[in-house]
Amino acid sequence: MQSERVENSELDEVDQVDEAALARVMRSVPLGTAVLAGSAVALLVLGYLLIYLLIFIPRGSVG
Amino acid sequence: MSQAPPEMHEQWILRTELLWAFGVGVFVAAALSTILFTALTMGVNPPSNVERVDPKALHLSGEFAEHNLGTSVAADGSVTVRAIATQFMFLPRCIAVPSNRRVTLRFASPDVIHGLLITGTNVNTMVIPGYVAQIHTEFTRTGDLLMPCHEFCGLGHSEMWATVRVLREEEFRPGPDGRISCAQ
Repeated sequence: MQSERVENSELDEVDQVDEAALARVMRSVPLGTAVLAGSAVALLVLGYLLIYLLIFIPRGSVG
Repeated sequence: MSQAPPEMHEQWILRTELLWAFGVGVFVAAALSTILFTALTMGVNPPSNVERVDPKALHLSGEFAEHNLGTSVAADGSVTVRAIATQFMFLPRCIAVPSNRRVTLRFASPDVIHGLLITGTNVNTMVIPGYVAQIHTEFTRTGDLLMPCHEFCGLGHSEMWATVRVLREEEFRPGPDGRISCAQ
């Protein structure tokens, strides 16, 4: 227990982040995540649609 | 956590997840609708044909015997191609087909699993011993198309390929027996 307390106090000293600044940053993090994930998925969907409409469909049907 | 802004609350996270799930749902619905629409209006379907054939007796079977391989035109005008995929070649090595006309491709294997695709088209299938792989298609571009084996079938796999020669309608002239080959 003693050693744990020592480790925590060391971490507290290293972590100098201000709570208010952290809250300010965290407010925009979900938006950034959504934009990043949305862009990645949108590019994937766009690639799928382009291949499907411009390559697969013009090549004609098989069955 | 008591100092966390309201945006960090679980309700807000849930709202984001639901929004994302809605977006994904819209995409899945759009993709399925496209597939359904093209299947119903343009006949775009995955090839599905379950038909057994004895792989040990292909050379004795009426359909895949050597004299019956290649392209044949039936009395009703339907074009059928029969070919064998074997280690390490396709028989025949060159297949003549007409352009802008429905063609039925039928393949069988006497030895191991093979696969084939015809470049520039959507023809792509496995050829499994014991089954007939059948595909209906229409070739729109004339010229020679490469048809390689795309399933590793042994040491000579990379040498296993054939040519599909797509001929214009006026060039596609089968003989009196209804057969046509690349040599004609």
